[in-house]
Amino acid sequence: MELSAVNLTKRYGSKTAVNRLNVTLTNGVYGLLGANGAGKTTFMRLLCTVQRPTSGKIDLDGKNIWKLGERYRDVLGYLPQHFGYYPDFTALGFLLYVAALKGLDDRKAKKVSNKLLEEVGLSGESRRKIKTFSGGMKQRLGIAQAMLNDPYILILDEPTAGLDPKERVRFRNLISAYSKDRIVILSTHIVSDIEFIAEKIMMMKDGEIIHFGRPHEITSGIDGCVWECSVPTSRVEQYTASLNISNLRNEENGRTVLRVIADQPPVAGAVKVQPNLEDLFLYYFKGEDEQ
Amino acid sequence: MKKLIWLELRKIFSKRLTQFALAVGLLLSALLAFSTWQNKYASDGAGNEGTGRTAVEIDKAVAARYSGILTDEKVQQMIAEIVPESGENGLNAIYLYQNTIQSAVSARFSDINGNWNGLRVSDLFGDESIKIGYVDGWLSTSRNMTSILVAFSFFIIMMIAPVFCGEYSGVDNIILSSKYGRTKCAEAKVIAGIMAALITTAIVLAVNLLMALAFYGSEGLDCSILFAQLTYIEGGIPFNITCGTLLVYQSVLAVTGTIGVTGITLLFSAACKNQMIALVASVAVYALPLLLPVAETSALFRLVVLLPIYHAQFVSLMSVAQMSGILLYAIWAVPAALILIAAGSIFSRRVFAGHQVS
Repeated sequence: MELSAVNLTKRYGSKTAVNRLNVTLTNGVYGLLGANGAGKTTFMRLLCTVQRPTSGKIDLDGKNIWKLGERYRDVLGYLPQHFGYYPDFTALGFLLYVAALKGLDDRKAKKVSNKLLEEVGLSGESRRKIKTFSGGMKQRLGIAQAMLNDPYILILDEPTAGLDPKERVRFRNLISAYSKDRIVILSTHIVSDIEFIAEKIMMMKDGEIIHFGRPHEITSGIDGCVWECSVPTSRVEQYTASLNISNLRNEENGRTVLRVIADQPPVAGAVKVQPNLEDLFLYYFKGEDEQ
Repeated sequence: MKKLIWLELRKIFSKRLTQFALAVGLLLSALLAFSTWQNKYASDGAGNEGTGRTAVEIDKAVAARYSGILTDEKVQQMIAEIVPESGENGLNAIYLYQNTIQSAVSARFSDINGNWNGLRVSDLFGDESIKIGYVDGWLSTSRNMTSILVAFSFFIIMMIAPVFCGEYSGVDNIILSSKYGRTKCAEAKVIAGIMAALITTAIVLAVNLLMALAFYGSEGLDCSILFAQLTYIEGGIPFNITCGTLLVYQSVLAVTGTIGVTGITLLFSAACKNQMIALVASVAVYALPLLLPVAETSALFRLVVLLPIYHAQFVSLMSVAQMSGILLYAIWAVPAALILIAAGSIFSRRVFAGHQVS
């Protein structure tokens, strides 16, 4: 299957959230990166048919997803960035409700719901009301509901928000195991999650995809722009104010190793290092309201 | 689809507000029924008097003496046998209450001193055959139900208002991206909303009627409402229908009123993003007819009276000119309710199906 956005545009009044976006997605895990307001959530909402594009279209195998309607949504799973829930429903009750919305029959709904609750580590809490859940538990429940119908297209908006490191590892493993022969699109604040899971990266800025490709391909665009240098710890503040620093590491000898993103060597003796996604993110979004 | 409807119903009934309001509605019914029964007073003019159960028994016994078709002879017999005590406290005899039959006959056939006023049955009721008996219990129940049903309409609005707009606070993302979110889910919400409203109305009606049966027994269901105490507004319905027919009409109108108010509320529930706005808008539209300066004699009143609030306050609707035989104008409440629910259902489904998450 092939999911294509063609000249996809979404405007809210005079603000353009997604601007003539063209992209074709086939099987694989896609990481969506961008600063706040880059248009990631709007793009995901358009893919999930919870918002209509102002112009342009999204096709699944050449057919407009709005015309496909139920047939498209039948193969879709979506975890919204902020989702509501029914406080008086139990975790299992909520999944059974969503399963009914997704057209699963009773027996299958119960089986899949219990299996997913186990996979997201909530099997012991299946009879607890959602209002008693922590943020991380609700997020895991959200992930479970998105996967109920074994979707071919899985769209996850900030799926790791609120998850502790152990839960994030569990999530990454779950998605890795799940993603074979499917389209999985996820955005996250945590760039390392995308580095671990995503096969391809879509970097968005001002409603457009400015980079699309495998992590090493898109980071190669800033080859030679990432440096490491050792400076006296006492002068770190001075460097922080003037340089685009992606990381700093204190050493025992009163010096600090800075990882700097710059087109030229930031200080004498700086050495070029291999860029990673975080560097790429900072390279493009320095000065913006970063997530 | 059945599963979706069941789940939507569960969602409605699992809300604390729904449970609380239903409990309040039933408690109010019980309190009103009990206090009405407890405050009954009757005297048979022969030294027996009492309240509550005793009053009901006295009223029934007096009514039993004259039960049957109202004739001039019976009127004379009643006036002669149930003579109100003269006004020792300065009250005229007609205002001295003894029991329900005395009150009914005095109001129609006595002068201010309690003597026959010269009117014959045919002068008041034409050639209608008026069956008299113990009607007080059912008419008390009907009057109480009117108050409860008006209050209950607001409960229905509270219950139905969140059906669509309750989802707009975040769950709409999940619903609208799921297979049946824009289709069967919207239908299920409409059906569940109607069912929830009808179920709760049926419960309230059943509880009220069963309590009436327990307090007053089944006597009088086949008696005319026209020979009742004048304190009953039902007496203002100018048609010779029995208490049973009256209760059937009231129950049907309670159902049509429920359907109508559900239609209005569903419409606002889908159109408003906020539950409170949906609630206030629904209440405003529901109660608006009462504020309209339309006289009951106006032709426009015949239309206004078909709006749901008058189904609960059914006496106004029942007072509009009779169509033919036992068929009252109130029967138009049925198509009126169907139009409202059809409009509410179609509009709300379309709005929800076309809703865009913001």
